[in-house]
Amino acid sequence: MAHVQPITVLIAALGGEGGGVLASWLHRSAIAEGHFVQGTSIPGVAQRTGATTYYLEIVPHAGARHRRSDRGPVLALNAAPGEVDLVVASELLEATRAVAQGFVTPERTVLLASSARVFTIDEKAAAGDGRLDAQAMADIARRCSRLAIIADFTAIAAQAQAPLNAVLLGALAASGVLPVPISEDAFRAAIRAEGKAVDANLRGFEAGRAPRRTASAQGDKTGDQTRASPPLMHLVSQQLEAFAPQARAVIAEGIARLTDYQDAAFANRYLARLKPFASRPGAEGRFLRELARHLALRMSVEDVIRVAQLKLRKERVLRVTHEARARAGDIVDITEYLKPGAEEILGLLPPRLGRWALARIRHDRAWPLKVTTTRASGFLRLKALAALKGWRPHTLRFAEEEAWVERWLELVDRALAMSPAAAQEVVATAALVRGYADTYKRGLANWRKIVECVIEPMLAGRLSRAHFADAVLQARLAAAKDPEGEALAETIAAIRRSAAAEHAAAE
Amino acid sequence: MPEVSFHQQIESLRLGAGEIFYGEGILAVTKALLQSGVSYVGGYQGAPVSHLLDALVQSQGLLSELGVHLETCTNEAAAAAMLAASINYPLRGAVTWKSIVGTNVAADALSNLASPGVEGGALIIVGEDYGEGASVIQERTYAFALKSSLWLLDPRPDLPSLVRSVEMAFELSETSNTPVILELRIRACHMFGSFATKDNVAPAHSANRRLGPAPFNYDRLSHPPATFRQEADKVERRLPAARRFIFENKLNEQLGPREGPIGIIVQGGLFNVLNGRLALAGLSDVDGRVAIPTLVLNVVHPLVPEEITRFCAGKSAVLVVEEGAPDFLEQAIGQILRKADVGTQLCGKDVLPMAGEYTPLAVGKGLAAFLARHDRAGPALEQWIARVEAQQAQVGKALVAPLPARPPTFCTGCPERPVFAAMKLLRREMEPVHICADIGCHSFATFAPFSQGNSILGYGMSLASAAAVSATQTKRPISVMGDGGFWHNGLITGVAGAIFNKDDSVLIVMNNGYASATGQQEIVSSAKEAGGRGPGIDIATALKSLGVGWIKRVRTYRVASVARTLRAALRSQAKGLKVVIADGECQLARQRRLRPETARRLAAGERVVRTRFWVDPEVCTGDHSCIRLSGCPSLNIKPNEDPLRSDPVAHVNNDCVGCGLCGEVAHAAQLCPSFAQIDIIQNPTGWDRLKQRLSTGFIRLLGGGGRSKPALVTAE
Repeated sequence: MAHVQPITVLIAALGGEGGGVLASWLHRSAIAEGHFVQGTSIPGVAQRTGATTYYLEIVPHAGARHRRSDRGPVLALNAAPGEVDLVVASELLEATRAVAQGFVTPERTVLLASSARVFTIDEKAAAGDGRLDAQAMADIARRCSRLAIIADFTAIAAQAQAPLNAVLLGALAASGVLPVPISEDAFRAAIRAEGKAVDANLRGFEAGRAPRRTASAQGDKTGDQTRASPPLMHLVSQQLEAFAPQARAVIAEGIARLTDYQDAAFANRYLARLKPFASRPGAEGRFLRELARHLALRMSVEDVIRVAQLKLRKERVLRVTHEARARAGDIVDITEYLKPGAEEILGLLPPRLGRWALARIRHDRAWPLKVTTTRASGFLRLKALAALKGWRPHTLRFAEEEAWVERWLELVDRALAMSPAAAQEVVATAALVRGYADTYKRGLANWRKIVECVIEPMLAGRLSRAHFADAVLQARLAAAKDPEGEALAETIAAIRRSAAAEHAAAE
Repeated sequence: MPEVSFHQQIESLRLGAGEIFYGEGILAVTKALLQSGVSYVGGYQGAPVSHLLDALVQSQGLLSELGVHLETCTNEAAAAAMLAASINYPLRGAVTWKSIVGTNVAADALSNLASPGVEGGALIIVGEDYGEGASVIQERTYAFALKSSLWLLDPRPDLPSLVRSVEMAFELSETSNTPVILELRIRACHMFGSFATKDNVAPAHSANRRLGPAPFNYDRLSHPPATFRQEADKVERRLPAARRFIFENKLNEQLGPREGPIGIIVQGGLFNVLNGRLALAGLSDVDGRVAIPTLVLNVVHPLVPEEITRFCAGKSAVLVVEEGAPDFLEQAIGQILRKADVGTQLCGKDVLPMAGEYTPLAVGKGLAAFLARHDRAGPALEQWIARVEAQQAQVGKALVAPLPARPPTFCTGCPERPVFAAMKLLRREMEPVHICADIGCHSFATFAPFSQGNSILGYGMSLASAAAVSATQTKRPISVMGDGGFWHNGLITGVAGAIFNKDDSVLIVMNNGYASATGQQEIVSSAKEAGGRGPGIDIATALKSLGVGWIKRVRTYRVASVARTLRAALRSQAKGLKVVIADGECQLARQRRLRPETARRLAAGERVVRTRFWVDPEVCTGDHSCIRLSGCPSLNIKPNEDPLRSDPVAHVNNDCVGCGLCGEVAHAAQLCPSFAQIDIIQNPTGWDRLKQRLSTGFIRLLGGGGRSKPALVTAE
């Protein structure tokens, strides 16, 4: 038996990312360097963003020997687990998938992967935060590979305005991990020979080659850490000292938010609402921080006045211009897609008048508007709306939101007397009430259902107190995961069943 | 023009004797056809064989020089029927399609072709869409070869072997007067390799050198009484002729030592996977020098009984490595051995999986079990299996939950997505209805976030599959069909049938202008744009001519209008078929056409408006309703910058092509005020600049774009 081992390379990419072109560059450069190369792919439905893989085997310096013969080396068409020398992945989940399938092993495999995430539809579509734990994936990938080069090549590509696959090729060339000699010039020649977007690809290749700081796959999940704006951290005031240190940054941010939203008096009302909780037994730092956070968000609800205010900010045009990569001299127009409904518009009326009007109009009436805020007429319309800020405390919507906040705080207050853990969960239910129009109504309806079917019965002692926190948590998660569906109703039924069973057992 | 440009590859189709071809397997097969003097080529596109037709469509010059006629058929039945030219004339012909589905569609013509047999070599190249990456039901083409007496080649996957197989297939076909199927798995079609080329051969009879009609010969007709004679001829003359040819030309290869206590019989297409595991066990090497007698069946039907018995005789056991169910080969080999009274023990599906792709791990485990039974176990193979399984288990545990799959989805800006957004909105407002899905890009609507569809019955079959459903449901079902499926067979099988039977149902035809999922091949209704070949036949006219009375056209991107039209179709008092034609050009094709044009205009200093969408991160509350109604790849999520919020906000990236769906959905569903359309006027005119200056001046006069976000505010 001859002891020649082919060098094996697996490329994991997404359809449309140029994994096939990357494979082709490798083919061309390996051939040019006199190696024998064969490879294949499962392009899936190429271009259409599904997971795709490309597999190559290179027999070093065997090109001349086999090129004309009818019997070349027998190369496998499938990567075999544990027998891959190099895995190149354009995305962290696909890198992890290669690890999970056993293609990346500590004995043999070098993993070159972009730490960037392209979120799957399930992660994106979750109401709230459905993202996978990037740090955990990167850790597993590192642990399972002989050598892991994981960096945000996607950001490097964006910066160089070049395709990611070229950046990966550059990084591969510079890392020297390819266990078969291919010179950087051979790679460059392959890019030229392939003939596709040659300049951009060469730019990407050089960007990938450039030395970089070792970036780790940063988990951008905030988890327990709330990031307050740095200047606010320096805010020292008598009032803040009354609160646990853990909550102070959030409270400072809340004060700033509500002052901008309405006025200083409104910010003071926020503080006044928080203060009674500061000294309550069981109200620890984390509890206070979450309470302060949700309270600030719920008090600064995005009514039409607020939306208009946010859309008139100066920084927006600059930000959009930058994000959209407009060049100097280009004109950038921003056209807002707005569709206020009956409740949002009539919500601007005083409570009694507003309710009277709402009783006489179909609630699903809505008026689609396209407002170009970068032009005089559009700007003027939103400016007029934003100018209603002083009127806000007299509106129906404001009255309703205030009533909601009072109701929620009352529930928190009563729950805290029973169980700090449960109170924490009652606080968290505030996250269900957000968004606009249908989303807002659905969230509010789900919240009311949880209050009526879980929180109130618990507070009244009709359901077992021991499961208070857990039941509220389960109900909230069900409503968040499936806001439009049956999950919440099923969870509530399950909570009732288990309570009934417990009741029966106790008797 | 198809999606992939074969500019460079087309040049390699012209290579002459002694040159080296580099490229993928299916193009090597294409080159082999030209080297074999083929007179005509046809087929229906479908992964993984689309590239054969796509490359030839782009090689018209070369084909006319050689006199090769190329037909892009309306479906696989048409492609199979085209081989009729080889029944009466000494013409070599080849057709291609995706199997099993294409073979199913072609079945009637195939039977009628196989019965009289052929004079000129007839070759059917099928992409065996089996295993990872497959998009169709998992069945084997083998059954068709068996039942119709077609010969089936399953060659070793390397380019020289594929090319030789094509050349030998024509000879085999002519020697035995039988059409031959060459099956190529997905990985073989996309395999990159090299081979030494020969000159192309201009066929003796062709479009350039035409023939007169054949004399009347009843035996060329698949019609009784000839069919009785033909059936006997298949087994009495053609089969033995084929076996002789296969044996004499050594189409099957015996590798390794002649003798040994055990042996392996393997489908040619699986040899490479097997060799990898044998090498690991120390029983082969990278050059395929196996240490166990191995019979590689490059022809899997018919088998040559003498070859099998000679190989097995004297061995205590053989392992048959045969992918997929049923175990046709194993059964046939068992019968051959039994009849020849050879006592060799037969192993196969008892140690290897009955169903599913034969991956290295699957083959490795089966091989290890077989070797262990016969005292040839190598520790390396078993240790490898243990290591792989241990790691998979360990990583699985560390991951807590299985990794989410990443199925393909509609492209950014796809014109079909808005139709499904509208259907999802309707589902909230009305009770759900039965959805008959179909084959094509629109079948991605079965995945999240749309998650709809009650059945898929094949390409262009959605409306036909609704027939009994519509008769037994309280609500009208909706059938979704692409224009590809419509012309493939939906017009006749679905529409004509529904009209004749007065079925009360709703059909949506996605009119994107191409057979998009297979790579934007032109179809009957494709417009003649940018040098395309489409004749631009109007779908509505075709429907009207069949007597469809209720036809509405919608622009797919107008979500509210699509929803309104569908609501009308579902609620209409009118009985009978109601068709909604959803117009919107395939975005991939559109972008490919527009991009170079835009780049040219930009470079020339002309005014170009680029439109994309944007999500206001300050207004987005992180609920992601918009994503649940769209799923566009460019509609993404990103970390929330708001220190008070932790849920990621929606975000539109620069891949956005400005189709406008997210804005439309925000309006139609009354989602949220976060969406904005960004128009970037590049190379603005003097008038543009004047208007902008006036607006900016006015805005500044009114307080200059509003207050900045406060950086530091102290509480009272």
